[in-house]
This record gives sequence, structure tokens and C-alpha cells, in this order.
Amino acid sequence: MSADTVPVRLPAGYSLLRAGRGSFLVHRRAAVVAAVLGVVLAAVCVAYLCVGESFVAPAEVLKVLAGQDSPDELVVGTLRLPRLVTGLLVGAAFGVAGALIQTVARNALASPDIIGISQGASAVTVGAMTFGVTSYTVLPYLSVAGGIVAAALVYVFAWRGGLHATRFVLIGIGFAIALRSVTSLFMTKGDYLVAQQAQIWMTGSLNGRGWEEAAPLGWTLLVLVPAMLWAARAQRTVSMDDDTATALGVRLGRVRLGLVLLGVVLASVATGAAGPVDFVALLAPQIARRTTRTAQIPLLGSALMGAVVVVLADLLARKLLAPTELPVGVLTAAVGAPYLIWLIVRSRTAGGKA
Amino acid sequence: MSRLTARELTLAYEDRTVVHELELAVPDGQVTVIVGPNACGKSTTLRALGRLLKPRGGAVLLDGQELAKIPTKRIAQSIGLLPQSPVAPEAITVADLVSRGRQPHQHWWQQWSREDERAVTDAMERTDVQSLAERPVDELSGGQRQRVWIAMALAQETDLLLLDEPTTYLDIAHQVEVLDLVRQLAHPTPIGSRGRTVVAVLHDLNQAARYADHLVAMKSGRIVAEGHPKDIVTADLVREVFGLDSVVVPDPVTGSPLVVPGAPYSPSRLADVPAPATTSERLRHP
Repeated sequence: MSADTVPVRLPAGYSLLRAGRGSFLVHRRAAVVAAVLGVVLAAVCVAYLCVGESFVAPAEVLKVLAGQDSPDELVVGTLRLPRLVTGLLVGAAFGVAGALIQTVARNALASPDIIGISQGASAVTVGAMTFGVTSYTVLPYLSVAGGIVAAALVYVFAWRGGLHATRFVLIGIGFAIALRSVTSLFMTKGDYLVAQQAQIWMTGSLNGRGWEEAAPLGWTLLVLVPAMLWAARAQRTVSMDDDTATALGVRLGRVRLGLVLLGVVLASVATGAAGPVDFVALLAPQIARRTTRTAQIPLLGSALMGAVVVVLADLLARKLLAPTELPVGVLTAAVGAPYLIWLIVRSRTAGGKA
Repeated sequence: MSRLTARELTLAYEDRTVVHELELAVPDGQVTVIVGPNACGKSTTLRALGRLLKPRGGAVLLDGQELAKIPTKRIAQSIGLLPQSPVAPEAITVADLVSRGRQPHQHWWQQWSREDERAVTDAMERTDVQSLAERPVDELSGGQRQRVWIAMALAQETDLLLLDEPTTYLDIAHQVEVLDLVRQLAHPTPIGSRGRTVVAVLHDLNQAARYADHLVAMKSGRIVAEGHPKDIVTADLVREVFGLDSVVVPDPVTGSPLVVPGAPYSPSRLADVPAPATTSERLRHP
């Protein structure tokens, strides 16, 4: 063993990954959890492609995925796969978005669907629908814009010489309510059919989603991968109190703004593709963190968990009341709402420490 | 010599000025302790010395350069700071928290080095928290937690260390331990090895007089007196700064000034009756 490879003592639970001059700390349990989640996700995806109006054998599904000729090419490859990919990406994006915003606000309640970002996206999208914009190639951009504007408003109003976590969440909830009533206004004002379409979009649905929605979302996520790698590292310092983080040489204002911006873009892009799939951004990061037991919310774990939640929920949504397809948001809300109540009850008994 | 100085430093929260045109030179390699009554601006001054608070007027200088003009990461390589009530991320382990003190010496592509390991191990040994390494910080007692935070600040290995009331939450034995550690940092045993500069805010005047090389007494945002405790701590100063009548005697152990406050409340004293009867007197007048 050369002097360079002698094992060094590391903070408990971490392993060191070396590459040339670089050295990277990897949380072992988080890595194992990510691997397990990856396997689970793969299994859920195959199940998703098998199950539907007609059952397709897993072997045939794998054949289609491998690009081989199969009689089930149409059902699996053309009908189910694009919807699956959209769900996968939406889930991952919501997972990471929730993780980032919860980290910055240092509050498990601060997810984009609670603090008004999804509602901002909804208000603008539904507004556009009532004015006759129904093209799914335009609507996603509008919802991204809506989400960012809503987030900017919350940020500006919550800022008072610094970002106070509780104030951030409360102002966010206020904006969420206000924006929801704006959405309702558009819906009552608009045409009956438009209102119905908007209603389905607002519950969050993957019904009829295909490559047109998946592609821009996929590209956006791909472009943002370097930013997410940066965020995973930056999260370490933001999770401390302001004074300690600053004393450690962190440019807190900038780092926070960067993390929030990334989270908002991800949440808005995902909302644009599938509507506000409620509670995924709230749930996924917290489950991921509880399983990895890391000091900060694991980003990769949150992404995988988000994807598993959305794909599984959509699988159930398609199958539970077949042939009626439920919007996926109904399922995620059914799980998420009780969890939200539990979070609030718990945070009150713990003196607001979250 | 002073690496860290304050020049005409004026500090304010919103429209309330807390510190007025303060001049301070922190002597290198010594323990400087700031004392004063509540709300005299001592913690505020410390925060400004650690760039946590932007001056309203004047400046804090590090090696002659204005703190506000130095990148915060570079400041963090020279100045370490432990705030009054730091908050740890939920569920973090002791070793993980201490290792975060290495942040200013790391890069995203270099997250752990032999140097980091040495600094963290050393810091944990000095504060006697090695045995807690894998425990979650949430589960520790107040005293243990405070020692872990000090370990984190030590792991940063900065020449200057600012401590805001480092002995809060500690029992007397741990208080003495921490203050001894602070002195040891400034005056390491091997002769010739360079000590660190420590600035601490302390509540206890006697501890300050005992452990400080340089004592700074503040009142209403201004420095009333500064110098070696032996030279400045007198009954007059205590009355002026704290508004307290006291007797100052030499500490029987160290010879440093020991402030003994005036007689405690007693009902007989207020009622203006003779001093409390001794046992023998009581025996004579049943």
C-alpha cells in the first residue's frame, strides 16, 4: 500500500471516492438507498408497462425496451412508454425541487406545492386556457413563467434583511391561497368546457401525455444536471444556521438564491408538463431523508423517490377504477394530505422545530 | 501587533445605533475578553469582527484590509467564529458536524484530505468528544453539544477565533475546561510555537479577569476601559460599568482581580435592625 492509498479516517458513515487529484465524500447509506431505489424504480416501470387495458408479459416489455421487434410494440412503446417517461421525469423534478426548497427554508412544509409555486403556475396556465390558449406546446412555458413569478413574489415579501424560514413558509401559504382564488376566478369566468379541461390539468394528470411533454422536460433536467451536482454540495452548508454558515465562508445569500431558483425552475417545468401533481415535492424528499438518515436531504434519493411515487401512483390511477382513469394527483393527494397533517401536528408539538 | 482591528466602528440594527465609533486593536496571540452589562453591544461588536454584521460606519480591518472587501471564504480561512446559539442540521452526527469546520479549506472536487482528517481528529481530541463521534448531535446534553461546536470551530484551524459566550449551557467544571482550552490555544506549551488569537464575549466578570490577557469593558456601545485585568479591574470600574457596589480582592489562586459583590439581600438589613444574630447570641437570648 502506498502512502496515498492508506485509508483515512472519515466522518462516520462516509466513504471516500478518489479520482486523480479529486476526492469525494459519499454517504454510504445514501448510496445504498439510491441503488435500492433504482432497482425498485426499474421494477415499478416494467410493471407500469405490463399493466393496462391489456396485460403484456414482462418479457415482451423488455423486448420492446431493447428495441427488438414485438407484437406489443404499439401498446408498450407508443402508448405507455411516453406517459411513463413523462411521469418519471415529473416525479424526479418534483422530488429535487421539494428537496431544494425545503433545505433553503429549513422547513419540511416548504414544498413548491405548499408555498405557491404550483399555484402560480396553475393561475397563469388556467388564465391562458380561458383566453383560448390550449396548445400543450405553449402552456408549459406559461406555467414555468407563472411559477417563477410566484416564487419571486414570495421571496421578495419574505425578505426582511434576511430570509426567515417560518415567514417564508407563511407568506408562501398566503400566496398559494390568493393564487388559487385567482385560478377559480378564471375558471368561473371561462367557458364550461375549458373549465373542465383546466380542472383536470389542475389535479395533475398524466393522461394523454407523450413525447411532446417528456422531451422538453427531459432536456431541461439534463441541462440542469451540473447545477444539481453543485446544489448537492451547497446543501451541506445551507442546512446550518446563518451565522455559522457565514463563519464557514459560505456566501449564504447567493447560495440560497441559486438553490431556490433551481428548485423553482424544476417545480415549474414539472407543473407545466403534468399539472401540479400534489404532495410529491412535499413527500419524496422527506421519505428519502428518513431512509438515508443523512444530515441534509439527499438529492439523488429525492429524485428517485419522486419518480417511484409518481409512476406507482399513476399505475394505480390507471388500474384502480378501470376503465375510468383517475388523475395521478388524486392518488398522490390521498397519501400526501394525511402526511401533511401529521407534519403540522408534529411540528407544533416539537415547538416548531423542523 | 494586531491583525484584526476596528476603526471608528459604528454598528446599528435598523435605526437603533448599538455601538458608537469603536476603536479596537485585538492583540495577536492573546486572549481578549469583552465584558459589559446586557445590551452593551459586546456580542454585536464580536459579530462585526466576524463580518456577520455590516458596519453602519467605520470598518473592521483584517491585515489592514477592509473585511467587507475580502471574499467571505478567504476570511473564513483566517477567522473562525462560534455564534451564541448555533443550529445543527437535523440528525447530523458529531463527527460530521465537526468535519464541516473544514469547509473553507475544501473545494467541491477535494472534499476530504489528510489535512482535514488531522484537523478534525485534533479538534475532537482537544475538546474530548471523540467518544461521541457517531452520536447524533440532537441527542447530546447541552454541555456535550457546546464542546462539539467548539470542536467544529477549532477544526477550521484559523489564526483568529471569535467565541460568543462559549461557556453558556456549561456547568462550572466544563466552563473551566473550555476556558483553559481557550488559554491553551493562545499560549501553546512548546516555547516558540505560535499561539492563536482568541476574542471571547463572557458574561462572568471573574472568569474574564481570570482568563483574559486583554480585557475590554464596554458600556452603552462604548469602550470604558481596556488593558490587562490586573491594571483595570477596580471597584470603581465595576461600579461605572455594571452599576454594582463591590470589593475587588486578589484571587487566592491566580492573584488576578476577583470581584466580590456587596452584601446580599437580607430582611434585617433592609429593616435597618442590627446585623443578624449569631448562634451564640441566639443562645443567650432565646
